[in-house]
Amino acid sequence: MPYSLRDIRKSYGNLSVLDGFSLDLAEGKVTAVLGPSGCGKTTLLNILAGLVPPDSGELQGLSESRFSYVFQEPRLVPSLTALENVELVLRAVFGSPERRDRALSLLAAVGLSGSAGLRPRQLSGGMRQRVSLARAFAYPADILLLDEPFQSVDLRTRIGLMDAFLDLQTADPRTVVFVTHEVKEALYLGDRVVVLSDKPARILDRKELLLPRNRRRFGSSDLSDVEAAIYRLILG
Amino acid sequence: MRKSRSAEPHRGVPGAAAGAVGALAFLLLWELAARAVGSEIVLPSPPRVARAAAELFPTVRFLAALEGTFLRGILAFGISLAAGAAVGLVCGLSPVLASALSPALTVIRATPVLAVILLALIWFPSGAVPVFAAVLMAFPVVVADVRQGVRSADPGLLEMARLFRLRKRDRIRSIYVPALAPYLASASHGALGLCWKVVVAGEVLSQPARALGTGMQGARIQLETAEVFAWTLAGILLCALTDAAFKLAQRKVPRALLPS
Repeated sequence: MPYSLRDIRKSYGNLSVLDGFSLDLAEGKVTAVLGPSGCGKTTLLNILAGLVPPDSGELQGLSESRFSYVFQEPRLVPSLTALENVELVLRAVFGSPERRDRALSLLAAVGLSGSAGLRPRQLSGGMRQRVSLARAFAYPADILLLDEPFQSVDLRTRIGLMDAFLDLQTADPRTVVFVTHEVKEALYLGDRVVVLSDKPARILDRKELLLPRNRRRFGSSDLSDVEAAIYRLILG
Repeated sequence: MRKSRSAEPHRGVPGAAAGAVGALAFLLLWELAARAVGSEIVLPSPPRVARAAAELFPTVRFLAALEGTFLRGILAFGISLAAGAAVGLVCGLSPVLASALSPALTVIRATPVLAVILLALIWFPSGAVPVFAAVLMAFPVVVADVRQGVRSADPGLLEMARLFRLRKRDRIRSIYVPALAPYLASASHGALGLCWKVVVAGEVLSQPARALGTGMQGARIQLETAEVFAWTLAGILLCALTDAAFKLAQRKVPRALLPS
């Protein structure tokens, strides 16, 4: 495995969040990390991205990697347009014409060609998160981290956002870690699902999802066996 | 939800009318006080001051003094703004440097303006004393506001910038500058008013050629109290006019500060 965490421990004061946690990331695949709210999923992403150092343990293949992040909230610069927001993260990587072409192409891929010149306050919540997705895929990252990015919008917008993510991922497969507490989201987007316990987070089970993603429908019963097994794990 | 009441002056026709009534009331009180005192040397009446101003303002001596004071004030403002913004930015970005500079800034802030002027009289030529004193007084105000502005930058955006490895200049231009723009505007406004006051005070004591403060002091020595008021009125008008010009410019500047 090119990217992995080995025996990671992390505590905040007396609160142990990760205790001997290990995880391998499959290259070009979506690893959906499913766990209850507050179990340490965001801490896991922050350790992967190098934002938070672990107390102990080993990170393999991660220190030299570039990361893209789709946050719970879009985190767009209010004074910049959608296009400028995407271009901003490319400034250190690409020259001007390539940067603009790449940003425009990604905005088109998420259906925002006509809104490239608008500022975040002029966009809906779903459109802002689409810009955030375009930004994440425009950036030449080795690993893409998604921190429950579909939570703050209504169901229809959520499905639209997830489909936009899947289109981008199909066109340009990335190594993705997607954390969520929604079982249906994990089953819709993941190539495999890792189910976590409550704090300190440990892996209860790993499920490989063999059904091709283009045959999955959000909320359908195609993966009902897996879904039922996950609910049994979560609910004990 | 109930709207909160604002202490801001009311704008528009009712506001202008209220302002005119307030000004008239002030002049009336001044006139009554002057009559009660009964001495033009102690407290000249408004018409006497108006006559003194009408005589003084067209003179070459006055216009040269106005120009001299204006240039000193603008120079002091420019230096304190540039230096204060640079130091404030550094202090905002680096808590260690902020701690290192904190004692010096506290001493500067706490030093009485007269002490600064008296020391500057020993160190500098008379024309530079008001500028030095004004810079020293306005500089910490700008540093404090700019530092606060840098610290007000959205931590979520800063984390995003860190993850996407944004260059420092892109972080400053796209995240810090828009965050500190309103603080810089407030700092500039405060520094400008402070600069006029301290420049004129410095001129009164250092007596440079071509200065409102020098004219003020000359009139005081000759017991021309109405002329002291006229010089003071010129200082107030200078401050008010630059304040109005600043507010006009302020409407344009924030857009120019934002990246295109």
